[in-house]
Amino acid sequence: MRWNGKTLLWALALVGFILLPQLITVKYYLHLSILALCWVIAAQGQNLIQGYTGYVSIVQAGFMGIGAYSTALMGLHYDLPVWLTILLAPCVTAVFAVLTGYPSLRVKGHYFAVVTLAFNLVIFIVLMNWHDLTQGEAGITGIPKPGGKDSWLNWRDRGTYYYFVLSIAILMTGLAALIVRSRIGQTLIAIRQNEDLVGAIGIAAWKYKLFAFVTSAMYAGLAGAIYAHYQSFINPEIFGVAQSLDAILAVIIGGSGTIAGPVIGAFFVVFLPEYLRFADSFRLILYGLVLVLATIFMPRGIVGVAGDLWAKVKGKPS
Amino acid sequence: MTTAILQVEKLCKSFGGVHAVRDLTFHVAPGEILGLIGPNGSGKSTTVNALAGVFPPTSGEILLAGGHIQTLPEYERVAMGLSRTFQTASIFPEFTVREQLRLGCNVTLKSHPLSSVFGIGRHPGEDEAVESRINDILELTGLAEVAEDKVGTITAAQQRFLMIATTLASEPKIVLLDEPAAGLVSHERKTLSNLIRAIRDTGVSVLVIEHHMALIMEVCDRIVVLNFGSKIAEGTPEEIRNDKAVIDAYLGEAV
Ligand SMILES: Nc1ncnc2c1ncn2[C@@H]1O[C@H](COP(=O)(O)OP(=O)(O)OP(=O)(O)O)[C@@H](O)[C@H]1O
Ligand SMILES: [Mg+2]
Repeated sequence: MRWNGKTLLWALALVGFILLPQLITVKYYLHLSILALCWVIAAQGQNLIQGYTGYVSIVQAGFMGIGAYSTALMGLHYDLPVWLTILLAPCVTAVFAVLTGYPSLRVKGHYFAVVTLAFNLVIFIVLMNWHDLTQGEAGITGIPKPGGKDSWLNWRDRGTYYYFVLSIAILMTGLAALIVRSRIGQTLIAIRQNEDLVGAIGIAAWKYKLFAFVTSAMYAGLAGAIYAHYQSFINPEIFGVAQSLDAILAVIIGGSGTIAGPVIGAFFVVFLPEYLRFADSFRLILYGLVLVLATIFMPRGIVGVAGDLWAKVKGKPS
Repeated sequence: MTTAILQVEKLCKSFGGVHAVRDLTFHVAPGEILGLIGPNGSGKSTTVNALAGVFPPTSGEILLAGGHIQTLPEYERVAMGLSRTFQTASIFPEFTVREQLRLGCNVTLKSHPLSSVFGIGRHPGEDEAVESRINDILELTGLAEVAEDKVGTITAAQQRFLMIATTLASEPKIVLLDEPAAGLVSHERKTLSNLIRAIRDTGVSVLVIEHHMALIMEVCDRIVVLNFGSKIAEGTPEEIRNDKAVIDAYLGEAV
């Protein structure tokens, strides 16, 4: 790896994330940071299909829901250890992603977005109404923390959980970077640019699209599982279409098709609504306005703007 | 007779009520440059798309080196040695010329795509072989100077040559070129006809669609003429030039 400006920034960010719990004085912000790190994982997945492959999926929160309920229900009914159900949750999510992705990705275009949106609605309705399984709107409580009773780590401590989620977010961001730099990643970027040509040079585009979509779903499933064990409580409310739009926005605002983008974007969509609390009932309108303006004036996201500024500082045309 | 590289038998393709290609039969011999000409809308691009597998033919058979391919998907036909260019510019604008060619080489690789994620399980020497083939193609197509430039920033003419270069990356037996001279000026057309011959000299057969008659007449061994989706003539450039039906339908008196 070359030791250039980019690596330095990543190293600084890493140090920042490690020191964050020490720097934060308000406990609530530590809570938000943990949620944001869950969203980093989900957004990295969303970026693979939306940012790199160019297919907008509108079901990321739904997949988080599948992951969250999978880990909770498997733990509850089969008495499996938490680490195992967290690992199984993305696999369950993957099955659903194959079932939705296979028919909708064989064809090009907007069909995929519509199918994923519909699927998120179905997930939400099932979670709400299949009482015997999900307990409906009331949700599932008492989801255990990882580590069990005799763990040497105090998992009830938010600091502990923060570092747990941070490690996984770093791992999954690293994995995303590896995928993107690989032949597979190059093919995804090629599909985004010109899918017809990808077919003409002998690549089965649909297989790569399906790979990107299933991987993105597994990211969401993992994020949802980690979220469930952190909150100890889940209900359908945060796994709806509105939250899937948040995942889309995290990618756009942070910087679509970049590795840093989803990291920045995830913190943005978690913290921004909190900072807009002063506006009270206008909060959501203001939130929407900020997002619309950001999308119009920074189509390449925060990472894009930062890159342009950096190029200006260095006196090179971007 | 040696087996044709490409054999097309009674190919038909209709879109709704439009019979774009009707009962088309022809072949391309090994090492041959075959021209496919005809008026606008006569079914030339439709033929290429059907041969390449963009859509299934309505009926008819397509054989590549003796094997039926008409039911295979597009990407498998490329792997078997048939690759094509598009009539309109079709490129990866964000890639460099070298990156686009590297992607074009993917179909020839033996190592699994996943091996490139973690850098394990790769076939030794494969990457080096790919880079050296890319360099050969860059040299052949005259794109060596722009190898590291973004495809979106090179000239339109260079993009047309890159489209041909990309078809060569998959180590084809035959390339189908759909109007490669579109937008090229006269000295670039000269370079193009040299390139088409050079490609043939490497052992690759060529099917070329063109409206530039000088180029077609100069470079082709044989020519097939379409009109309203049907073959109206087939023969050497000399025979086509003097064919009454072709002159009436397409060439006019001028040629
Ligand atoms: N996808 C399609 N759907 C419907 N009709 C089509 C389609 N593609 C081609 N056609 C029709 O088929 C006929 C043949 O078109 P084609 O593009 O093959 O002609 P061509 O010989 O390549 O012409 P040109 O020299 O203008 O490129 C035309 O009438 C065209 O309108
Ligand atoms: Mg055409």
